[in-house]
Amino acid sequence: MSSTTASRGARRSGTAAISGTGVLLRFMVRRDRVRLPAWVLGLTALMGYFVTALEQIYATPEDIRAVAPLLQGPMGALFGGPGYGMEDPRLEHLLAGLYGTYVLVGAGLMSLLTVVRHTRAEEHSGRAELVRAGVVGRHAQLTAALLLTAAMNVAVALLVGLLMTGQGFPGPGSWLFAAAVGAVGLTFAGVAATTVQLSEYPRAAAGAAGAVLGGSFALRALGDMTSEHGNVLSWLSPIGWGQQTAPYVLDRWWPLAISVVAAVLTAALGYALSVRRDVGAGLVPPRLGSARAASWLRSPLALAWRLQRTQVVGWSLALAVAGGAYGAFTGPALEAFEGAPEELLVVLGGTEDIGAGFLAVLALTFGLTVAVYAVLAAQTVRTEETSGRSEPVLAASVSRPAWLGSHLGVVAGAALWLLVVAGLATGVGAAVSVGEPRMLGEMLLATVAYAPAVWVVLALAALLYGGVPRWLPLVWAVVVLALVVGFFGPMLDMPDVAGWLSPFEHVGDHPLEPVSAAGVATLTAVAAAVAVAGVAAYRRRDVLGTG
Amino acid sequence: MTAPVRDLDAPVVEVRDLRKSYGDVVALDGLDLEIGRGEVHGFLGPNGAGKSTTIRILLGLLRHDGGTARVLGGDPWTDAVALHRRLAYVPGDVELWPNLTGGEAMDLLARLRGGTDAARRDELCERFDLDPRKKGRTYSKGNRQKVALVAALASDVELLLLDEPTAGLDPLMEAVFQECIREARAAGRTVLLSSHVLAQVEALADRISIIRDGRIVESGSLQELRHLTRTTVTVLTGRPTDGLAALPGIHDVRTEGGQVTFEVDGAHVAGLMRELAGLEVQAITAHPPTLEQLLLRHYGDGLPAAAEASVR
Repeated sequence: MSSTTASRGARRSGTAAISGTGVLLRFMVRRDRVRLPAWVLGLTALMGYFVTALEQIYATPEDIRAVAPLLQGPMGALFGGPGYGMEDPRLEHLLAGLYGTYVLVGAGLMSLLTVVRHTRAEEHSGRAELVRAGVVGRHAQLTAALLLTAAMNVAVALLVGLLMTGQGFPGPGSWLFAAAVGAVGLTFAGVAATTVQLSEYPRAAAGAAGAVLGGSFALRALGDMTSEHGNVLSWLSPIGWGQQTAPYVLDRWWPLAISVVAAVLTAALGYALSVRRDVGAGLVPPRLGSARAASWLRSPLALAWRLQRTQVVGWSLALAVAGGAYGAFTGPALEAFEGAPEELLVVLGGTEDIGAGFLAVLALTFGLTVAVYAVLAAQTVRTEETSGRSEPVLAASVSRPAWLGSHLGVVAGAALWLLVVAGLATGVGAAVSVGEPRMLGEMLLATVAYAPAVWVVLALAALLYGGVPRWLPLVWAVVVLALVVGFFGPMLDMPDVAGWLSPFEHVGDHPLEPVSAAGVATLTAVAAAVAVAGVAAYRRRDVLGTG
Repeated sequence: MTAPVRDLDAPVVEVRDLRKSYGDVVALDGLDLEIGRGEVHGFLGPNGAGKSTTIRILLGLLRHDGGTARVLGGDPWTDAVALHRRLAYVPGDVELWPNLTGGEAMDLLARLRGGTDAARRDELCERFDLDPRKKGRTYSKGNRQKVALVAALASDVELLLLDEPTAGLDPLMEAVFQECIREARAAGRTVLLSSHVLAQVEALADRISIIRDGRIVESGSLQELRHLTRTTVTVLTGRPTDGLAALPGIHDVRTEGGQVTFEVDGAHVAGLMRELAGLEVQAITAHPPTLEQLLLRHYGDGLPAAAEASVR
């Protein structure tokens, strides 16, 4: 009797914990009526773009065979995948094995951002409190968010599958690749379900899940570069699981089981952690701080540094680790290039110095990474204003140019510092692994030379922000352009003007080429002029109100 | 850039025909405002009337479209940095840096203004019962407001711009706040106090401006405003009061349990008293209009709109 009552009670509380899920799910769909199709169609369109572009570039099988050595080598492994089918590649191998990696990453990003948006971000804003005060179970919000994310991933998988089979690629491989996209997305939904429990901040939750995504990419890159078709490192990476299905080659489905199990386990961990904390709180309890400000905290510049310090430290650590890891891989990479065919070596700058070509690619990678930091930092400056925190500072005796200039100065300085860190770490790794001390200096110079290019990106962000703050995200277009031109420019047939528009194409490709002093000087001058224009525009407009 | 001059007789805030629009929405529609030195000026109005817009223009955070605004003898837009050394501001919705403690935020804001009085700061923290060691993200709305209040009140400035500064405070803290404003006035400071809390303005303000739809509809001392308005009178008389309703300046006569209640215009009180003298008055109460009544009279026809605004 009593056990029946207990089990009935348990059953009731079991469903009670998720009551309201349906309503919340419909509400989330309503809120995301633009965002949801944008992500789903956007990822499909990205894949569609790859298909169309590659069909044009590689019109004949000979065209593909010509680039095969490049894709088969460490370069393909670094930026693509484990290289299944690259011995005699067809178009679908390139699509699923190389370019498709970015669709996998995109699905992961979509999932983690969606989960954070509907759980921790809601709690942080206080809106979740209103919702939870209604007839809503304690697990309803997380459940609805996970259901929504799962549905988005299923939709992406369906559309990608239809796209690939519609293009006439083999059915089994196409549907397997599409399922891999969805499975990777599911895994990162689970990861985010856990990270949102840890911190009170949506940004920290997204950052932690994003770090797992970035780590997954790096892990599989290291694994794929070290051994053919990857090694244990690749198998530790959630992105690796998706890639190890080897669509169109082995067509094996079982790695996706790992993805699904990982998704279930991380989501279960999220649920378990969520009942151990209060609504709105993180698992890490807040501590008391100093009652007085440090004596150096007395200028807008000091405030800007204080607010950005944590981020700069985090990026420094991440770049030091990534730089050291990629740098240390220079030796094995050069060995792998031994005996590579002529056309590949031409792409990397000729037979004379393959090492220099490899370092140049790494330098560009870190240059672009630091540009991403600069844009994210510029967005936090905008948040200072939209959240109303810039107002009391400007109401004190601080001019607009001093406020914005301080923030820009800190970001510009931090960007330079981060490039030094990345250059040093990569340089040390490369010099040690190859046994060539000069590589340290070369790598440092090559990386730091991109500082003016990063500053141009930052200055453009400042101009957009100063003029029309909501246009700030448009600056991502410059970063994406630079990335596409820098990495895919030689392979895709891009117009010259695209290269000219990317600030990263004007500093020379050191150590392949000498650093262009004229380019550095011009970019610095352009950055300064654009930043001044941005500050001037900011000085003339209204300070945004909250809400 | 002209240096702001310190003229002790000139108004501290002088606003003429101020206009500001956000796109098609007119926020300020020819607003006039004058605040003399050493005065506590109450700034009353419903949500969306333009109080915050006015204050943010006075701070140089917003640029006005038309009219003139002078603060402490300077132009709030071009002389912002110099003027802000001489004023302090408390926003209605205080946001703090999540990873800075309240104490750090207070010190920083005081230093950015040019000076800090640590003893005064500590005393105010004590009086407002505020722990300055907590991180910004852990404060409640009321405590965030206290941080901004302590930072403003601890600074040695001529002008305090307070935009609904006590919306999140409990009555005990409200009393502390009123005490602090009286001290500020005693120290010769000028205060612009925008508020919904009518009792607070009644208790503190020397002069009051009522804003509605972006313009000032009434301005003056509380006494002057009352003079313009009606006194509520309740009488119990031995003789019939039928003649009262016919007197000039008498409104809204109603009878309840033998007592007659009505309102009388300030200008017609004398005539009323002559009439009442012959009616064998047994009991009489008369009270001046409360600010609620003042506001109701000005916003009575706009109540649905105000209610709508507060729902949003």
